[in-house]
Amino acid sequence: MEEQDFINNLKTGQQFAYAKLIDDFQQKVFATCISFVPNKEDAEDIAQEVFVEVFNSINKFKGDSKLSTWIYRITTNKCLEFIRKKNTKKRFAFLQSISGNEIPLDKTNYFTEINHPGILMENKETSAILFRAINQLPEAQRVVFTLHKVDDKSHEEISEILQKSVSSIESLMFRAKKNLQVLLENFYKNEL
Amino acid sequence: MKTTEDIKDRVTNIFDSIDAIETVKVSPFFKDKTMQRLFNDKEETISFWNWFTPKLQLATLVCFLILNVIAFSQLNTSTYDENVNQLAESYGLSTSSETSLLNQI
Repeated sequence: MEEQDFINNLKTGQQFAYAKLIDDFQQKVFATCISFVPNKEDAEDIAQEVFVEVFNSINKFKGDSKLSTWIYRITTNKCLEFIRKKNTKKRFAFLQSISGNEIPLDKTNYFTEINHPGILMENKETSAILFRAINQLPEAQRVVFTLHKVDDKSHEEISEILQKSVSSIESLMFRAKKNLQVLLENFYKNEL
Repeated sequence: MKTTEDIKDRVTNIFDSIDAIETVKVSPFFKDKTMQRLFNDKEETISFWNWFTPKLQLATLVCFLILNVIAFSQLNTSTYDENVNQLAESYGLSTSSETSLLNQI
């Protein structure tokens, strides 16, 4: 009932309700964003977009799931949307580079420049390789792997966010690990 | 040449590096910036577009369509005779030129 009152206050656009919502969720939403996007500024921008989306769409929230689950769902979608946009820009930059404009190729990959304060300097290179490999996974596997391994969410939480069964999450996780292993092994084989 | 074992070790190290990622705190100004964006942006939008309700938008669209239909049908009603008369008048061949003052005298 308490959550319902809170949701009603959000629906009527009460400022104090949004202040509380941001207090309660800013760290969690930001943590999920920075798990997908290893850049602090971009992760904060996406987190802000998440709260704007909550504000604009709260009237569409029917209460079928917990408010937190709904917010994490929005967060995941916003992160994927951001990565898709970045990848489109990357392809455009690649086309520019082959049409004569001088853009160094490795700079066109968003995940080659990590600005994640939680990653130690000595792990920067390793993390860049990891994030680039994660980004090559099929979307469903990428989401499950990132939410579980990087954002530290349980299989149950992920199953609620993605509206899939726990067993399908486990299966996606298994395939993600296996594919990542292959991608990373190929990367090191081709390194020389 | 790297051995398979070496590659496997490096892959394992990469997987282990995930656990070494530390928690990052959100910027202390995040809440203020977000609140400002939520409430200031909203007020601006409302004050500017508030009067243009969906009903008015629909009415405007209907008016626009009706005007276009009328204008189009008007264009199509001009007959062949009208066009010939217009041509004749512009070259001074029209019968209406007989009504000039010189002809009456």
